[in-house]
Amino acid sequence: MNIRNIGVIISREYATRVRKKSFLVITFIVPVLFALLCTLPAIIMLLSKETGKKVEVTDRSGIVMPYLKDSDAVSFVDCSDGNLDTLKKNIVADGADAILCISPVDPETKSVKVDMYSIKPVSVDIKESIASMVGEAVEDYRLSSYSIDGLKQIMEDVKADITVSTYTVGEDGEDRMTSSEVYMIVSIVLTLVIYMFIAMFSGMVMTSVIEEKSSKVAEVLVSSVKAVELMFGKIIGVACVALTQFFLWIVLAAVIIVGINATVGLDSLMGADPDQAQEIARMSGMDMSMVDTVVSGNDSEMAAVFETLMDLNYGQLIFSFVVYFLLGYLLYASLFAAIGSAVDNEGDSTQLQLPVTIPLLLAFFIAFYAFEAPDSQLAFWGSIIPFTSPIVMLARLPFGVPAWELALSIVLLLLTFVALAYVSARIYRVGLLMSGKKTTFADLWKWLKQK
Amino acid sequence: MGLIQCKEVCRKFGEKVALDHVSIDIPQGRIFGFLGPNGAGKTTLIRIINRIIMPDSGEILFNGHPVRQEDVERIGYLPEERGLYRKMKVGEQAMYFARLKGMGSREAMSELKMWFEKFGIQNWWNRKVEELSKGMAQKVQFITTVAHRPSLLILDEPFSGFDPVNAQLIRNEILGLKENGATIVLSTHNMESVEELCDGIALINKSKLVISGSVDGIRHKYGNNNVGLVYTSSSPVTSEPGLFDVLSDTGDSSRHTAVLSLKEGAGTSAVLQCLLDKGLSINSFKELIPRMNDIFIKLVTGGSEEPGQRMPM
Repeated sequence: MNIRNIGVIISREYATRVRKKSFLVITFIVPVLFALLCTLPAIIMLLSKETGKKVEVTDRSGIVMPYLKDSDAVSFVDCSDGNLDTLKKNIVADGADAILCISPVDPETKSVKVDMYSIKPVSVDIKESIASMVGEAVEDYRLSSYSIDGLKQIMEDVKADITVSTYTVGEDGEDRMTSSEVYMIVSIVLTLVIYMFIAMFSGMVMTSVIEEKSSKVAEVLVSSVKAVELMFGKIIGVACVALTQFFLWIVLAAVIIVGINATVGLDSLMGADPDQAQEIARMSGMDMSMVDTVVSGNDSEMAAVFETLMDLNYGQLIFSFVVYFLLGYLLYASLFAAIGSAVDNEGDSTQLQLPVTIPLLLAFFIAFYAFEAPDSQLAFWGSIIPFTSPIVMLARLPFGVPAWELALSIVLLLLTFVALAYVSARIYRVGLLMSGKKTTFADLWKWLKQK
Repeated sequence: MGLIQCKEVCRKFGEKVALDHVSIDIPQGRIFGFLGPNGAGKTTLIRIINRIIMPDSGEILFNGHPVRQEDVERIGYLPEERGLYRKMKVGEQAMYFARLKGMGSREAMSELKMWFEKFGIQNWWNRKVEELSKGMAQKVQFITTVAHRPSLLILDEPFSGFDPVNAQLIRNEILGLKENGATIVLSTHNMESVEELCDGIALINKSKLVISGSVDGIRHKYGNNNVGLVYTSSSPVTSEPGLFDVLSDTGDSSRHTAVLSLKEGAGTSAVLQCLLDKGLSINSFKELIPRMNDIFIKLVTGGSEEPGQRMPM
């Protein structure tokens, strides 16, 4: 291979992409979209709440009505005097959404039967909130039947609210407060980003190969350089684009974090840093038991989140991300390049793409199990087998992965890449000059063996 | 010894034989035409010379040695199906191709500027290829083919897609490059341009070499010793045993145009003398050599010719 030629090809592939407007747009829009995506669940929750439902109640038990509290979602109208059948008949005329019918208290079970009638089915939220309010009424009714003074208060006092604080213990025996949720979120983010990167940039290689083939530039190019040089020049050029984008995102993230730190101050967000709290406590003359209660409140969860975030090995994460992205991308991009060379237009590529996209999707699904059980058999094998390992390993990584597993997985990935690059290059070199007939897998096999 | 020697080149695609023991010498500093019907194997041979594909057996020698990467940089190739990056600017694109042929940036820039000026298209430099018409793009492609000053130019159907004015421009450039010492291989179906431009040809049919050699030699070989005769006489000329037969004779009572078929071994002087003796007043006596077009059709459809024939250049 001629290094100089590859260099010329890389610089063209790189320059034409980085100078495109779409590159700048993606670089700046994607982080914004990502941030939006994170707030989406909250927005969906907000928008999906029903409001202003009117429910007419016939309370035959005489104990429930006072417990039915109006909310934004539902308002209750006492219609206990009315007849159920007439209420049903007039439901539309009255402008009611539902009728709630509560039976008299059954003396045996000390409970009530609740029926709800509506024209449209009521939402699960409303049903559940009514059930809990009626339940409260029945509980209080039963408590009062015991005729013990202050029983209700006793019951309140007995209730226990337990949260589990998690710590990881280092080799030095020192423990750190952690948040399992943070690991999971970091793992999800890494998986999404690496999947997106591999799929997007290796797809870009395929599109570009198809473009060169269908515009017939390919023949001029391969008269000057070897097909293999062209293929690797393109793959490396696009990889440089990806790394540039990644680097810009890291810079962007760093700027945002520094910006927030300068304006608000990260420390103030982490008010519950134990050392700092102790310091403050000592200065203000409080004793240590009080500090403990301060730390162990709701704030401790926040503290765990921040401590986990601070504690993550970012160097290792970024390094592994780059290594796995590069290897995974190289593997898939060389396969996609071979596919691109075999078709005349993008429409024809769907069928040939299938064997390549399936492992990629499979990796994505296995990664979803890996968030929840990072040390399961599925996650382990998924992170060792080359086609899925770039994505699954990244999902496992925040939870900690033994060094030998990392090494094994990287070496296997590298070897597979080398083998498949050889196969792809052989297909590419023949496919690039073929046109007309639609390519089948049998053709690919023939090309592979062709001298 | 030719600049390019193809020795017993064979190439199969699956079961289909594309080239069957083809041997051709392409002499240095000449224009050499590859002729043959569609699908005969011309493009395969051109691709093998360009090292785009490898022969199954046989070899290609460039200046007497197997083709190396440095040699590839001295070849300029214009494929039959032209292709440029549609979204790329003309100038950048031309630079890219020149750089891939081993030119330095500065050298490539000055050479390209020279060509753009020559073709009067300097203002296209910053335009995208997709904004150009087909003919305009062809001109750009021609420049990218010759900008690195190749010593061997391989042009597959160079005139297709050009209007007569631009075709003439390209024709003159090709002749100019030949004058500067370049060897030019062109594949074409246009027999007139073969007669006008080519010094030698190779005719390939059904993956075999049918004939190769100088254009003049081949035309004379396929000339059947006919002579066109224009004369003035009151009576038409008659056949002379041992010297010639009269194949046709048209004309009015005084001026005639006849085609004579000379017998084997009959010298033109003897024939002329005989005609003069007959008392004809001769206006013109001209050897009739067949046109390349006729030879092409005869060889491709007749197939009577022994394959692999080579004529001295």
